[in-house]
Amino acid sequence: MNLTKYITKRILQVIPLLIIVSIISFFIIRLAPIDPLAELRLNPSISEETLQKEIKRLKLDKPIYIQYASWAKSFIKGDLGYTASGEKVSVKLKERIPNTLLLTSVVILLTWLSGIPIGILAAINKGNVFDRTLTVLSSIGMAIPSFFFAILMLMFAVKTGWFPVGGLTSYYYNELSFWGKFIDITKHLVLPVTVLYAISLSGLQRQMRANMLEVLDSDYVKFARAKGLSEFKVIFKHALRNAINPMITLLGFEFAGLLSGAALTEYVFQYPGLGRLILEAVMKSDINLVMASLMMGTVMLITGNLLADILLMLTDPRTRKSQEDV
Amino acid sequence: MKKILGIIIIFFVFALCIKGCIKADIPENDTKINLSETKKEFTYPNKNKNVTINGVHYIQSQAPVGKFGGELVISTIGEGPKTFNPCNSKDATSSEMAGLMYDGLVSTHPATGEVMPQLAEAFHIEGNDYYIYLRKGLKWTDGKPITADDVIYTYEEIVFKGLGNPSAMYAMMINGELPKLTKIDNYTVKFTTSKPFAPFLRQLSYPIVPKHYFKPYSDKGASAFDAFLNPNTKPSTIVSNGAFILKEYVAAQRVVFERNPNYYKINLNNEKLPYINKLVFLIIGDTNNQILKFEAKEIDVIDLKGDNVARYKQQEQNSDYAIYNLGASTGTLFVVINLNNRTNKEGKPYINPVKQKWFQNKNFRSAVDYAIDRKNMVQNIAFGVAEPLFTAESLNSIYLNKNIKGHPQNIKLAKELLQKEGFEQKYGRLYDKNGNLVEFDLYTNAGNLEREAIGVMIKQDLEELGIKVNFKPIEFNSLVNKLTKTYDWDMAIMGLTGSPLEPHDGINVWASRGPLHMFNMRDSKDNTDDRLEWEKELDTIFEQGALKLTYSERKPVYDRYQEIIYEENPIIYLYSPTRISAIRKKIKNIFPTRLSGILYNLDEIYIDSGCPVKENTRSGK
Repeated sequence: MNLTKYITKRILQVIPLLIIVSIISFFIIRLAPIDPLAELRLNPSISEETLQKEIKRLKLDKPIYIQYASWAKSFIKGDLGYTASGEKVSVKLKERIPNTLLLTSVVILLTWLSGIPIGILAAINKGNVFDRTLTVLSSIGMAIPSFFFAILMLMFAVKTGWFPVGGLTSYYYNELSFWGKFIDITKHLVLPVTVLYAISLSGLQRQMRANMLEVLDSDYVKFARAKGLSEFKVIFKHALRNAINPMITLLGFEFAGLLSGAALTEYVFQYPGLGRLILEAVMKSDINLVMASLMMGTVMLITGNLLADILLMLTDPRTRKSQEDV
Repeated sequence: MKKILGIIIIFFVFALCIKGCIKADIPENDTKINLSETKKEFTYPNKNKNVTINGVHYIQSQAPVGKFGGELVISTIGEGPKTFNPCNSKDATSSEMAGLMYDGLVSTHPATGEVMPQLAEAFHIEGNDYYIYLRKGLKWTDGKPITADDVIYTYEEIVFKGLGNPSAMYAMMINGELPKLTKIDNYTVKFTTSKPFAPFLRQLSYPIVPKHYFKPYSDKGASAFDAFLNPNTKPSTIVSNGAFILKEYVAAQRVVFERNPNYYKINLNNEKLPYINKLVFLIIGDTNNQILKFEAKEIDVIDLKGDNVARYKQQEQNSDYAIYNLGASTGTLFVVINLNNRTNKEGKPYINPVKQKWFQNKNFRSAVDYAIDRKNMVQNIAFGVAEPLFTAESLNSIYLNKNIKGHPQNIKLAKELLQKEGFEQKYGRLYDKNGNLVEFDLYTNAGNLEREAIGVMIKQDLEELGIKVNFKPIEFNSLVNKLTKTYDWDMAIMGLTGSPLEPHDGINVWASRGPLHMFNMRDSKDNTDDRLEWEKELDTIFEQGALKLTYSERKPVYDRYQEIIYEENPIIYLYSPTRISAIRKKIKNIFPTRLSGILYNLDEIYIDSGCPVKENTRSGK
């Protein structure tokens, strides 16, 4: 009962937040001196009348608050409008969302499935060769910028010819059998996944290791050990359950990154995902597309946080208690 | 101590590694290459012939007979096509792809630029009447015949109504009047223009579309028509008549075309073209990725930029590609000077009156022109892969005024010109006759490395005259805004692409009311009473040039316009990049021309790899 009340409250809080985010971003984008029609203006074969037609269509002749009002009106109705080049925003997003989700969910799955155990192992074996090697590797992983790593990977692909250079499918994709298709996509995914995996893994396993160490140092673990429990029981029954709590909050943020977290890597690998679409849209001040993606990002972030909070309430009695007090 | 030694050792190893990398990547010998080496002469096969077989009036290619089959993978930079509607394309990629799917009445000879019949079998001109005779027996991809009704529909209900991209309508208008169109019989139509208008014939290359397929959408009005044939249209439903049929569009990845098995072009053995089964455009976001894809053999053709030419040229011998020099491109790079002396709505001058005096002065502009070292730019910015440019027409234009030879940098002459106008050099700085320090801003779009390098070079060149140039690269959109709306700029480095066939297309730039008359922009409230003498002459030239119909009559008129620009220097041309392409040797029937580039005859190109085509070696099929 309490939980549903809590969720409704959180969802209602989203509305003013969305309004504020949309107003701020709309005005910032529109006040930037970027003209979405600049390219058309400098094209000698485009007549003045074509330009006027485009200006009318994009409502660039109206004051900015009217532009915002008309955008907000159609947004509430669920209509995301058209891009600067006249395509439906919803269609464009629909084309790209599955691709990005495929990439990010593979990465998140791999990092969490391997990051947590590695973090635990590192914490248990603190200070020995395994832990030290891991420390060095994760320092490298955290220090290397994703786009640079991606470029290195691309060069690797060109030199060896083992992997395709960017993209998601080969041009003969549609003629392949089911397994052929599967192998084709896997081949294309290996490099971008490697880049994103290496970078997020190094952060995640460090986090897990730190949490675990903190818990292993606490009094109740010492007590459990003193009680003569086996090391396995101490770690998995007592320490792990407490160490995992902060990770749940992190998982919420990961959820928000599902759609937007891989933009740079996507761009370098020419991956047909949302990141590339939105980067190009921002550069051209394609307002409807940018606004749609910002709104989506906001909603994802809020949902992610909400999910994390609910999960925390389920796993940790302390948070449940504090929520009831409020 | 041990630690420090360790760090030093690591540092040295690292340095050696980096040294090794550098050595491997940059060839030691001179990166400047001799361009004449890459020049290969080609004779384009004779003009196409008309051949009638079983009542179908085919067009016969005179290119050598090739092998059928295979696939050609090329690329397009950017976001890919925005529409497949040939009447609505506003960007180069969309036009290119729609152009593969829809043919027009006439086309252009790839080498000489003359107008050739395409869907039309022949045409003839009688005064202001243009008679067009259509080929008989041609069919749309759905089997319906192509007739005069489709032509009439395309022009009367799409072009003349301004549906889609209305630029075509304005290009056909002569003093605000559209030509009249009459159907003579099922395969003959007649266009009648209100007065002679030279660019008109080329306008007939506008793609002809099927009436039965387009009409339901054009009847619904502009917005329905704009959405018609968007990239997500199911390819199998599209009815077209071009050499290639759309097979698949995957957003941000690729566009795949298939050969049209019923195309009306045949080879010398009377077999139906095109040769290649499949034409793939990979949609690539930037040129770096394109280079990687070419090196990984994922694409077959690439346009090379200056700094890559030397490397590719070196490796050409042991590689599977050949390099072609296509000569100067239609692209031009120039410095434009703001001659605007009008005031804005608040009565303030757009630019400082002190600066106005300099920019209005012909000798000042000439001095700037003489101070610029184009040869140096070509060698150092374009890596030798460019030609200096002195004319308003691009170097591959059929109307190029060959009498304008240009001039080398001449600082002495520039200084004399300035002295004549009362400018004086004191302590290395230039002052005008009223004692004002000569200093102004030079803009270009930030991020374009080539233009930024040009800016730095011009700044240095003008410093020799004592002129202080503040070089300011700004965001592209803001620059366009300055040039076309706020007019508050002094000089700018820009580039435009001209038409090598029709100088009249430049009217937007040169007519005193043109929307791209950058050097002296007038907005709607300004009148043209204050035109400069030579601006008046340009207006007359562009009016007159369009009225004359033959090349020999038009040439002297357009020669004069190039002379005016060369003398008056409102726009100082710098250089034209040379187009260099690398293409795999297995691709045959390539006849590169200065005018049309390399891949203009996709329907005649065939693939001869000497070994079985890729398809057979591919697994999982």
